[in-house]
Parts: sequence; C-alpha cells; structure tokens
Amino acid sequence: MENNQIIEQLKSIIKPYVNDAEAMSNLTESTDFITDLKINSANLVDIVLDVEEAFKIDIDNESMAKMLTVEATINIIKSKLHQQ
Amino acid sequence: MIGNDIIDLRLTRVESNWQRKGFLEKLFTTFEQSLIYNSENPEQMVWHLWSRKEAAYKIYHRETKIRAFIPKQIECFSLPLADDFSLGKVGIADQEYFTKTEVTSEFIYATAVVNLKDFDKIQTINSNEIAKDSDGIPFHVNTKNPVSISHHGRFERKITLDCNVQSRF
Repeated sequence: MENNQIIEQLKSIIKPYVNDAEAMSNLTESTDFITDLKINSANLVDIVLDVEEAFKIDIDNESMAKMLTVEATINIIKSKLHQQ
Repeated sequence: MIGNDIIDLRLTRVESNWQRKGFLEKLFTTFEQSLIYNSENPEQMVWHLWSRKEAAYKIYHRETKIRAFIPKQIECFSLPLADDFSLGKVGIADQEYFTKTEVTSEFIYATAVVNLKDFDKIQTINSNEIAKDSDGIPFHVNTKNPVSISHHGRFERKITLDCNVQSRF
C-alpha cells in the first residue's frame, strides 16, 4: 500500500476527532495529532483502535507510544502490514 | 513542578465511548481496570484515573522532554488512608508523583505535584499572568514558576506553585 493511499484512509479516520479544521485541511506527514490538530489525548486511543480495525492490524504498546504524528502512524501501519 | 487536567463529563460523553471494545485495555493497567470494573460508578472511575494520568504526564513531559502516548506506563496507585481516592500516587518510568482529584457530577479535576507539600502552594491565576517558553510550556510572568493550564468543555483551570506559601506538612 502506497503512502498516499494510507494517508487518505488515515484522514477519514482522524477527521471526527479533529478540533482544528484549518490544520486538517493543511495536513502533511509532519502534522502532529495533538499540537497541530488539537485532538483530545483521550481520543488518540480511538485513532489507534480505528486504525487497527481499518487496516486489520494489531498495534502494540511500543508502537502506540509513537503514534503522535501522521508520519509515525503511516510508518507503523506499513511495518505492521509488512509483517503479515 | 505542577500538572493539572480537567474533564467536562458532559463533553466527554460526546467525545469518547469508554465502553468501546479495546478502549480500557489500551489505556489502563490490570490494576486500574479492576478498579473500574469494581466501581459503583465505572464511568467516573475511568475519567478519574485518566485525569490523574494526564496531570502526572504533564510534569513528566516537562522534566524529561519525552513526548509519547504511553497511557499504560503511567500507573495510578492508591494510597492508604485515602479510601475516596482523592489523594493518590502516579508512577511513570522511575518517576513518582502525587495526585489530588476532585470529583463532581459535572467535572473531574486532577492536580499532580512532585512533593506532597506542594499541594498547599497551588494557586489559581489569570491569563495575563501567564507566558510561554519556546517549547510552548507556560510559566508565571513574575515568579517564573511553572504554570499548568487545562481546558475542556465548560471548564478551565490555570494554576501555579507559589513558593512563598508555608506548607502544613
């Protein structure tokens, strides 16, 4: 799966949790979920669970620790898909 | 050092579904999950524990500059003589913090400190007393003491440590 495919799917996952619509429209790989998109930290777990469901992968605690940016999340999704 | 976290229980019902499959398992340790499952008010216990983790993480982040989503490594412990859970401990890696939690039907509010005696030094401040450093970390304009700000839904709390206050402890 290519980065841009993953990004498009990821965008639809995070959209419901975003509190800064403008930052969402300027989303890049370096976008930070909390500092840029103002996502409530309690909703990070929803993103993790949604990503697990959408990509049919398991995200362990070690990977979850890094899931603060779009780029880190894409890398985790790619490496988990690769392991399958 | 200081950290705080307020949760608007009305907003949190809109934003989060704590009964969602996997939610508690990803956020809470086995001990914390047992507190939730055995609580008469599981919803309140979920957000009580979460607010403590958030308040303690704010101190941890400032002290270590580490940023990570590590909810299960932030462990809430009970303290003896604190049956109502209002006073507790939170451990992150090799650090330990004390937390105080105010629970009402509308909000849950946790504050975290490094030393127990710092609870007496917590003071509420106004926006015009707050400045931010290059990392976006707030401090008091006059005293340069650490400031913690928490805002959720209808509620906001801005606090600092006033080191001139004599502690009871």
